[in-house]
Amino acid sequence: MTLEKHGENRFVVPIGPQHPALKEPGHFEFVVDGEIVTGASVRLGYVHRGIEKGAEDRTWTQNLYLMERICGICSHIHATAFVQGVEKLAGVEAPPRARAIREIFAELERIHSHMLWLGVAAHEGGFDALFMYSWRDREVVMDMLEMLSGNRVHYSANLIGGVKYDLTPDMMDKIREGLNYLEERLAHYLDVVNNDETFIGRTRGIGTMTREQAQLLGAVGPTARASNFAYDVRVDAPYAAYAEFPVEMVVAQEGDLHARFVVRILETMESIRVLRRIFENMPESELVTRVPRRIPAGETISRVEAPRGELFYFIASGGGEKPERVKVRTPSLCNWGTVITLAVGHKLADMPMILAGIDPCFSCNDRLVMVKRNRQDPQVWTWADLRNYGIEYYR
Amino acid sequence: MIKGLLTTLREMFQQPVTIQYPEVKRPVRTRFKGRHVLKRYENGLEKCIGCSLCAAACPADAIFVESAENTDEERYSPGERYASTYEINMLRCIFCGFCEDACPTEAIVLGDNYELSFTDRHQSIYTKDMLLEPVPPGGKPTPQNTEPGKYTRSVPVMQDPQD
Repeated sequence: MTLEKHGENRFVVPIGPQHPALKEPGHFEFVVDGEIVTGASVRLGYVHRGIEKGAEDRTWTQNLYLMERICGICSHIHATAFVQGVEKLAGVEAPPRARAIREIFAELERIHSHMLWLGVAAHEGGFDALFMYSWRDREVVMDMLEMLSGNRVHYSANLIGGVKYDLTPDMMDKIREGLNYLEERLAHYLDVVNNDETFIGRTRGIGTMTREQAQLLGAVGPTARASNFAYDVRVDAPYAAYAEFPVEMVVAQEGDLHARFVVRILETMESIRVLRRIFENMPESELVTRVPRRIPAGETISRVEAPRGELFYFIASGGGEKPERVKVRTPSLCNWGTVITLAVGHKLADMPMILAGIDPCFSCNDRLVMVKRNRQDPQVWTWADLRNYGIEYYR
Repeated sequence: MIKGLLTTLREMFQQPVTIQYPEVKRPVRTRFKGRHVLKRYENGLEKCIGCSLCAAACPADAIFVESAENTDEERYSPGERYASTYEINMLRCIFCGFCEDACPTEAIVLGDNYELSFTDRHQSIYTKDMLLEPVPPGGKPTPQNTEPGKYTRSVPVMQDPQD
């Protein structure tokens, strides 16, 4: 995605990797003609941690926790995707109650993620009041997650073959109470997003993506759904307990930033509705099934709907205690193409909003890209070299 | 505009949601996973028997345990063995709670303390003295001099843990 040629009279505005607009590292180059952007490029990979490679050196259980740490916001869904793949390979199925609890965690996480995004996106648009409000209300859902799992961010709720934490009726009541409050607040935010004049000025008609573009650029998740591209793994290929407690897909027609705000807020409300339904008909069963220590050899894929879109895992097992290969395809990576395309023709001042519009997650972007170089290149390090370097560095 | 000003006025008389952190601390939930605590029995004996199951279970390899033999004259824990070294590297620990689940004697528990800070990497290794809880009232500090044949069972009879 690099710019091939910069014309004679063009001016390139480089942004990042360290910059005040976005809180995470990513390098962007915008070619501007006056105020109008005429070309854009993105360079990613500043947060590469080598997680996929590291996974090959750890046991299945250890990997569960490693995968959870790919992203701080969608941590549960990463572990769910991994665990479902491993369960598929092992030929076991989690008990119904465990699957329902997975869905509860996933939906609470979605509420938390979308509210976080609402704040960040509003902040990029210069609407800091909404940022403060939505982050304050996000505390409510964080508290719920802390009550359920003991951690605010990395819940460690999944186990291979089930879940770790049970829900007591007492907790359900507390969560219901919190959800009532959140629903009220979300209705208010929806009203603000739809009716605040300044806000509409910043969002309506900005970064419009048609359905065809969304399909062509491989957009996923709420970004695609805001462009009337009806695709949601929860609906199209139900996992966990989504077959028993289905969600309704939220789709918007317009495809602009405003539509993305509306889709995400409505999705959050939908999550609240589904959570209430699960609490009413919580299945009774064990929490964990027995899973062998060695997972049978084979390959599998596992797809889930992360808050940002479709998350895809490829897991290959050689029949041992460790996986042979784990490949993660994260939703943010799929959505970057849309940013580069949509940026053209807009003002430079709209860029932060368009960037934030896809809900970019930079820890999603740490995927390994192999560049073929010759062997003697000093930039090529082996795993053992890197490890030794790390040990020596901190000695 | 009047509506907006009304909101401002209303907010002026509401309680702030922020907490004055170092002075006022937010209470944690029952399931909160904070810094580890090594528990003791009421008589002051350590619950940890140095079995290293926590170290084996730890997904991050943060725990290091070395065990030694108990004698009746110098008794640290019931049963044959006790942990002579117990170290947790807090930089490696991911607070998943697997050690808690693995422990056969409920000796290691993730506590309430979330104020972990250090200025250098060597300080991040928490030793046994730092992790062990104080001797409960009525108990004696370890090592204790105990009568022979009293503490032969290393794993006590327990109920299912609550939260």
